Amino acid sequence: MKLEKRATPYKVFSIIILVILAFLFLFPLYWIVTGAFKTTADIYAPDPQFFPKEFTLNNFERLFAKRTAPAWEFAIPFSAQFSASHQPIYFSVGPTIPAAFRWLTNTVLMAVVAMILTCITASMAGYALAKKRFRGRALLFSLIVCAMALPKQVILIPLIKEVSAMHMWDSLWAVILPTVGWPFGVFLMKQFSESIPGEILEAARIDGASEAKTFTTIVVPMVKPGIGALAIFTFINSWNDYFLQLIMLGKSSNYTISLGIATLQSETSIDHGILMAGAALASIPIIIVFLIFQKYFTQGITMGAVKG
Amino acid sequence: MSKELVRRENTSAYLFLLPSLIFFVGFVVIPMVICIGYSFTDANMNSKTNPTTFVAFQNFIQLWQDKTFLGALKNTFLIVLVSVPTVCLFSLWVGSAIYKLKGPVLSTFRCIFYLPVVTGSVAVTVVWKWMYDNYTGILNYVLSRTGIIENNINWLGDERFALWCIILILFTTSVGQPIVLYVSALGNVDHSLVEAAQVDGATNSQVFWKIKWPQMMPTTLYILVITTINSFQCFALIQLLTSGGSGTNTVMYYIYYTAFKMTEQVGHFGYANAMGVILAIFIGILSAIQFRLAKEK
Amino acid sequence: MKKMKKILALVLALTMVLALSACGSQPAPTPAPADTPAPAATPAPAEPPADDNTGADEPTENVADAITVWVYPVGGWGDEAKVKPLIDKFTADTGITVNMEWLAYADGDDKVNAALTGGNAPDVIMEGPERLVANWGVNGHMVDLADMIDDTDREEILPAALEAGTTADGKVYLYPMFNVAHCMAVNYTAVKEAGAEEYIDLETRTWTVEQFDKTVEALYNKYGGTVAAVYCAGQGGDQGTRELIRNRYGTKLTNAEHTAYTWNTPEVINALTDLKNMPGIDFDASLAGGDEIAKFYQGVLKMAFCWNAAQQLDPNQAGTGEGKTLSGDEIVYMCFPTQEGKDPEEGSGVWGLGSFDTGDEARIAAAKVFIKYMCDSEHCSEAGDISNFFSCRSMAEGVEIKSSNPLLVEYYSKMMPYMGEYYQITTGWAGARTEWWNMLQRVGAGDDIATTVATYEANANAAANAG
Repeated sequence: MKLEKRATPYKVFSIIILVILAFLFLFPLYWIVTGAFKTTADIYAPDPQFFPKEFTLNNFERLFAKRTAPAWEFAIPFSAQFSASHQPIYFSVGPTIPAAFRWLTNTVLMAVVAMILTCITASMAGYALAKKRFRGRALLFSLIVCAMALPKQVILIPLIKEVSAMHMWDSLWAVILPTVGWPFGVFLMKQFSESIPGEILEAARIDGASEAKTFTTIVVPMVKPGIGALAIFTFINSWNDYFLQLIMLGKSSNYTISLGIATLQSETSIDHGILMAGAALASIPIIIVFLIFQKYFTQGITMGAVKG
Repeated sequence: MSKELVRRENTSAYLFLLPSLIFFVGFVVIPMVICIGYSFTDANMNSKTNPTTFVAFQNFIQLWQDKTFLGALKNTFLIVLVSVPTVCLFSLWVGSAIYKLKGPVLSTFRCIFYLPVVTGSVAVTVVWKWMYDNYTGILNYVLSRTGIIENNINWLGDERFALWCIILILFTTSVGQPIVLYVSALGNVDHSLVEAAQVDGATNSQVFWKIKWPQMMPTTLYILVITTINSFQCFALIQLLTSGGSGTNTVMYYIYYTAFKMTEQVGHFGYANAMGVILAIFIGILSAIQFRLAKEK
Repeated sequence: MKKMKKILALVLALTMVLALSACGSQPAPTPAPADTPAPAATPAPAEPPADDNTGADEPTENVADAITVWVYPVGGWGDEAKVKPLIDKFTADTGITVNMEWLAYADGDDKVNAALTGGNAPDVIMEGPERLVANWGVNGHMVDLADMIDDTDREEILPAALEAGTTADGKVYLYPMFNVAHCMAVNYTAVKEAGAEEYIDLETRTWTVEQFDKTVEALYNKYGGTVAAVYCAGQGGDQGTRELIRNRYGTKLTNAEHTAYTWNTPEVINALTDLKNMPGIDFDASLAGGDEIAKFYQGVLKMAFCWNAAQQLDPNQAGTGEGKTLSGDEIVYMCFPTQEGKDPEEGSGVWGLGSFDTGDEARIAAAKVFIKYMCDSEHCSEAGDISNFFSCRSMAEGVEIKSSNPLLVEYYSKMMPYMGEYYQITTGWAGARTEWWNMLQRVGAGDDIATTVATYEANANAAANAG
């Protein structure tokens, strides 16, 4: 329509504002990246250096020298259950590396496992909630809705006691499992599954397809966009869930990158150079992943909303 | 036969729910029940020297007289009440301003507003702390150089500003997803209706509020839900920026604080859990309201 | 159809069993109640040669082959690279591997308390008496180390330090390692430029309140802004603000028996009023002790109240050297000012090792081996040098313990005479610290000082009585 193409003053104005806002939104990231490469003199210069002329890797060197950790170390799930001292059994292989890399690996591992587990359990449960009539359905659903916005701080103490009793405290499982338990995923997948036409399920049943087969061949393909949205949501959420990581992880070789940086920040003398190097290390990988898969990110999220 | 069918339907439903329920019940419901139980006791970390006893409603009575708690409760709701509507309105505005732009421009804007979400809350907090710095922060530098302020403002140390500074960071990390959602919702609006209305001489704002807005209702509700969750869970910001000082205490932080810093106080676990129960009740009510609204769509 | 269902059921059943087995052990919240025989039996045979130089332990005892040690950043002990060689040496000498973890003051307590909540406490911890004795010790989380301290040790260890590590009923929860007198520091280069060096006595390092105020004034006139910050963003480094305020008119913050807090005095109120009204001194609720040090190193602040030997000896992140700011300005440590300019009471810092009662005899035995090695052997000197503090004992096992750092020796000769008593063991200490910085924030925000002090002192005493 012609009407929409015309550049009204309002539109020009809003674009200008948008551009300014965009720069403001980008600025913290810019500040992290430049800060990470600035020399100490530039960082503490009385007038902030907007465009550093000199770049140094010194901040990263100091960050890497500060803490070290074994490159790989795997706690066998539930091994603490069986080991004599109730300490998890670890396989540690490889050389000692800067702890920051270990933190990154931990974070990715944690986020991916949490994402996969959540997607599997939530899509099954969401389907059942949406399409099955069973006793206790209304009750369960209202429980889920009420629990959805519950901050984890509320159940902090029982959660620690429970996880400790299972001998999982100070392992990535202690972060993963409560994340999977969070009912938001079930809610999201229920909303998606609502749109599956009942007739198709009925037809499958008449054809003699088993429940499991119906689920894998009919339901899953239909809710795929929802699973995508949930995957992204869970990944980012568990990546960012500083609180759970803070209370559940004890050893610094088990830290996630968020927790690692937070610890650096709280150590006696605050060293902006090291902090920015850490922040850059924490954010750049996920930002690159985001930029590459940007289309799928936005698509996935969007699909979720239209249905939700 | 029909009974048999019901039974089978029930069984299969439960089987599908089981994996999820194990986690949900194990890591949310059971801890919540324990939490409620604890809230009526003076449980504490030092159970060896201070055995736990049942104290009935004493924790709750004490809480209503605890000024710190009431202040924290006020701040918590202030954060939610301010950030939820502003995030929704702002993202609606940005969404409507950019959804008609050309593909690459649109996706650039979308990316930029989404970036703080992917940057990670701790990395964002760390850099904002530096930017807010009283002495060497860039914010004070820019504002005083441009003559907007005369003396450096102690952003995080002054209770007139600290909470708003935190809300601002929360805001930048919250708008990404709603903007993406609104852009697509606006793109999916039924165009025949819009055109019909324009032919009838409706103004732009009429078209927006009368035709587009109702169609975006589900999106808006979804956004309300996720923004509320987000706002309640803002913990890293407070812990890392102010440790609950300068008038930025929230219930979420105060629970953590009572549980793990006030360990010398008798019954601190019970007290923290009582706070948790109160917060949970408020959130339950809020969720129920949102759920009702969603039902009515 | 049936097959799929069966597989599904099987998978679910397995998950269920796993979950159940996980939940099965829940009713036993106390750690390791009766299962010690199993873990202790296997590692023990490998151990016996280890204990040669740690005579205090019975040689027949089972000793675990690995312990976990958590340290707060006590001076140089926060620096992994500096600590590592000593730990490696310990492992080589005793065969006990050590999992070291470094805590931060900002969230270290939370971490230890979270671990205690779930029964996951480490074996050994390094910190001061206010946590080890007054908090975890009296609440039954620590092992009494009295059996490690014999009469020779009592002679060799600084009495005040040993006293700080001991409870009223004689239980030793902290084996003292090193101590320091907390002080303040000034940017001497800036002071000279402001023409105020006449107020700084480099010989005695003491000054009167008037000299201090004149120095602040001179610095303020020269540089403007904030000369020094009464930091109050949190509890970190709060000894600095406490000593500054209580020395001004000479008072104590607790009673002599360390059972109650006594801040609500004209001395404290007047000191706060003076500081609040002094141009150049700001009550800054965005800084904690660590931030204040950082700002001082940057040259933003010209004075620091959170100072001690470890900071004085830190070559800082720009590597300009000991006793220098990032830009190379000279740092001079000073006592806190008093009215008369003499006999200030510097804050006393004592640190040492304690052992958490994990209920596992073998691990406690190994923890004691570690404590003995660090606190009562020829390695004491090295442990002390790492910290940049002064060792709490003169001799250990017949070896003289002394610092190899001349700057540290000089610091001690100047500051030790002024070291005050260790009062941070009053009950409800953690709560009182919170009340302290909250009080400073309220004063900074402009509330009436007398009523604020009264309110927060009452809160602190309520915490003391409740505990």
